[in-house]
Amino acid sequence: MIQRALTLCLAMAMAATGAGFASAQSQGPLRIEITEGVIEPLPFAVPQFEAETAGSAEMAAQISRVVAADLSGTGLFRELPATAFISTVGSFGAPVQYADWKAINAQALITGAVNVQGNTLNVKFRLYDVFAGSELGSGLQFSGTVDGWRRMAHKVSDAVYSRITGEGGYFDSRVVFVSETGPKDARQKRLAIMDYDGAGVQYLTDSRSIVLAPRFSPSGDRVLYTSYESGFPRIYLLDVGSVQRRALDSQDGTMSFAPRFAPNGQTVVYSISQGGNTDIFAMDVNSQQAVRLTSAPSIETAPSYSPDGTQIVFESDRSGSQQLYVMPASGGEARRISFGEGRYGTPVWSPRGDLIAFTKQNNGRFHIGVMRTDGSEERLLTASFLDEGPTWAPNGRVIMFTRETQGAGGQSALYSVDISGRNLRPVPTPDGASDPSWSPLQK
Amino acid sequence: MHAGHYISGVGHLALIGWLLLGDVFAAEPLPIDMTPVSVISQAEYEAMMAAQTGPQSVTEVAQPAAPQEAPQAPDVSPATDQATAQTAPAQSPTPPAEVPPQAAEPAPPQPPRADVSDTAPVLPEPPSEVAVLVPDVSDRPVPRASERVAPEPVAQPEPEATPDEVAQEAIAPSTEGEAVEEPREATAPEAAATEIVTEAEKPAAAPRQSSRPPSRRPDPLPETARVEDTTPAQPTAAAPEPAAAPAAQADKSAINDALAEALGAATPSAPAPAAPQGPPLTSGEREALRVAVSSCWNVGSLSSEALRTIVVVSVGMQPDGKPINASIRLASSSGGSEGAARQAFEAARRAIILCGSKGFDLPQEKFGQWQDIEITFNPERMRNK
Amino acid sequence: MTMTVTRSVLFLVAGLALAACTNPNRFGPGDDALAGTAGAGAGAGAFAPGSASDPRSVAYFQQAVGDRVLFPVDQSNLTPEGRATLDNQAAWLMQNADFTAIIEGHADEQGTREYNIALGERRANSAREYLVSKGVSGARLRTISYGKERPIEVCSVEACYAKNRRAVTVLAGGLSS
Repeated sequence: MIQRALTLCLAMAMAATGAGFASAQSQGPLRIEITEGVIEPLPFAVPQFEAETAGSAEMAAQISRVVAADLSGTGLFRELPATAFISTVGSFGAPVQYADWKAINAQALITGAVNVQGNTLNVKFRLYDVFAGSELGSGLQFSGTVDGWRRMAHKVSDAVYSRITGEGGYFDSRVVFVSETGPKDARQKRLAIMDYDGAGVQYLTDSRSIVLAPRFSPSGDRVLYTSYESGFPRIYLLDVGSVQRRALDSQDGTMSFAPRFAPNGQTVVYSISQGGNTDIFAMDVNSQQAVRLTSAPSIETAPSYSPDGTQIVFESDRSGSQQLYVMPASGGEARRISFGEGRYGTPVWSPRGDLIAFTKQNNGRFHIGVMRTDGSEERLLTASFLDEGPTWAPNGRVIMFTRETQGAGGQSALYSVDISGRNLRPVPTPDGASDPSWSPLQK
Repeated sequence: MHAGHYISGVGHLALIGWLLLGDVFAAEPLPIDMTPVSVISQAEYEAMMAAQTGPQSVTEVAQPAAPQEAPQAPDVSPATDQATAQTAPAQSPTPPAEVPPQAAEPAPPQPPRADVSDTAPVLPEPPSEVAVLVPDVSDRPVPRASERVAPEPVAQPEPEATPDEVAQEAIAPSTEGEAVEEPREATAPEAAATEIVTEAEKPAAAPRQSSRPPSRRPDPLPETARVEDTTPAQPTAAAPEPAAAPAAQADKSAINDALAEALGAATPSAPAPAAPQGPPLTSGEREALRVAVSSCWNVGSLSSEALRTIVVVSVGMQPDGKPINASIRLASSSGGSEGAARQAFEAARRAIILCGSKGFDLPQEKFGQWQDIEITFNPERMRNK
Repeated sequence: MTMTVTRSVLFLVAGLALAACTNPNRFGPGDDALAGTAGAGAGAGAFAPGSASDPRSVAYFQQAVGDRVLFPVDQSNLTPEGRATLDNQAAWLMQNADFTAIIEGHADEQGTREYNIALGERRANSAREYLVSKGVSGARLRTISYGKERPIEVCSVEACYAKNRRAVTVLAGGLSS
């Protein structure tokens, strides 16, 4: 009843407002429809953050640079150089001269202040929509320790990014990957972890054993991976903080690999190879009780859970070549979702749940692509001699993957690409790198 | 008094307030995702302090410090004295002026291929690889990747002298045939492709497409729908359905329809305006306005949800063809959440202000016809670009 | 006297080489390195135990019998050549019952990492099953896959890929008796 009354009122109000609007002039407004626009990076300005305390100037400069680099790196924004600035931002609280920023076409303006006292670092910022002449959201302040300055810069970037785009950010995140050195036929591999932008690399294992395909836990504090430490490929669980590790499955005479966490952080899905057959199993991390999920005479591997944990996408060559399939998380009948030319592997469900990223091989080339979860709307984002192993940024908008060059001197490196296929760029790493896995946003 | 009256009163106030101050509310941190950061508890803070040295707490910066200038920036012509004096190339905020900054920026000029320009430190692709596949490509022009996607392809202006062009030259020959209009330095529009050319779609790189499901891009609306209402015979006052053609309206939300109806019904009773009325705009005049706004409507930074949101934005105009920036408001939206509508509206507002700052090219004698404009921004076709 | 010293040195070298062999996680093209070691040690005599000319030696198995079989692209079916090699291996293993073996499966680089591990295991298993069918006890044969992690040829053309798509029978034990 009340609902109906409300609806009625709203309708009346709308009609009344409309009538009032219209009666002010001769007739209704001129109506046009715009269906074509442009897609280009949004120009923004980050004047160097104000140093509020003596000695924080260097920190202010570095934080401003990281914020600018984060935003530019998305390809969605373009930094205006400081040399183009007309007005300077005196102090954090001073009024913004919008006209000056409009004149250089800065559509977004980020101001900030940095305050260092002892080991305590405070960073605050404001974001302005220059052309609307108003602040976007309200200012925020982050507090932490001085050595966590990069994370605070990333947090500023995340806030700016999500206010402008309406999507969650991904800058305050990390990537676990395999660091590679040495020639192709004697490559040394070890697990490493770094910030999403390549800063702060730390090694988690030594290079005595081959390690492959690490995957973060949903909370980002543990990593699953495959290691040949025992002489045979076996799955391990490593605590990122303590770097302690333990083997999860130790059935003799089998090889286990391709482990990934379920969204609950308790279940691990992985492959076991035995007697020429590879199938998918699920195991509880604590009890280490394994349950078989597939039982086909073909290769079933590279499983990945849907974010709600109800389904698993995996690859299988049961049809004669590698293709993608989706099955219930408890196993059971699988339906094929990939039907294009070529072979499809390494499916990874996006954190948003709407897309599946994959590796595709066709005509001697490799691609990273995305498709909807029913296999429709396949789009290839990259093409090269060898691209593989996509991983999603926490906001589901960017994909990182391994690209390997060909020939005797072939090297692996990490690249990222927007899911539109734009903004392909290398991720800097000290040595060769492969098998990235992107963490969730850090808390 | 009945509860219904209260409800009605509150409803009316809220609605009128929303219509008048929609953008003010929109500027507030609606359900912005600050929660994960700002909601952090003392306990969590302590826990994190113990665990690591990351940023731990977040507080809102004291609001009083906010530089609240004039709430709505006056409609200043951006070409202020300062501007002209100091940044000659960038004095106009319209996109064409964006090319010169390339000269000023420390970054190298945008090379045609984004992936090559990224100074891949380790792995430049061997040119031979490309060469092998080239024969598969017909002589149709190869769309070059560009940071900018626009309705009309714009040829990449030849960089003045870029020594490191070599890597890109592999695909250059195929583009040379098209549109070699000598780009005028200061006004050359930014290079644009009609759609995103991903690495995978480069003709040279992926000679044979896999059989992909058809994209959902809809067929363009029939042009006739827009032209209809420009028939000169049609007397202004007799047109009960103003401007927008029914076909274009068909897909809009129920709210829009209701609003349009209300407006339409009110029209006949409206008194004669002071502004020169003139005949309706010709299709050419309307098209010019459409193109002008399109060229500033940048959807590049919109979320995928905002790209599914259609917004109708109303704007009041000055006789000189410039929009009254303070009058720009969100009339209605459909297809997305409130947050998405806000993002979409912000992009639409930027388009109107940006491209209207020099005044839209509209016939003064018909001011009455365009004194109020309602623009529907429909990003459907931009979604897959 | 000198002769016995030389012999024991050779035994030692061979033993060390085999010790390395039991660790399937060594780096590099281990099988080749092993052959090189044994060959170098055998430089002194024409029929030194452990040398390629000793029919009971690891080097003989690698070089004369043939320790590997190759596979077509994305396949784990044995070729006629592969079966012939495995016939020889089976005969040798039957005669030298002290040896056990690990069969390593490998793939070329044209495939995704985890799929290639599964594919390598399939190749190793086909070699193992064939040997078992020829009478070698399954208890003496283990399998492991390295996927595309340990190529022996590094070029990115078919000539190299063909050699990388392999199942290698690596001997272990044997001289203990």
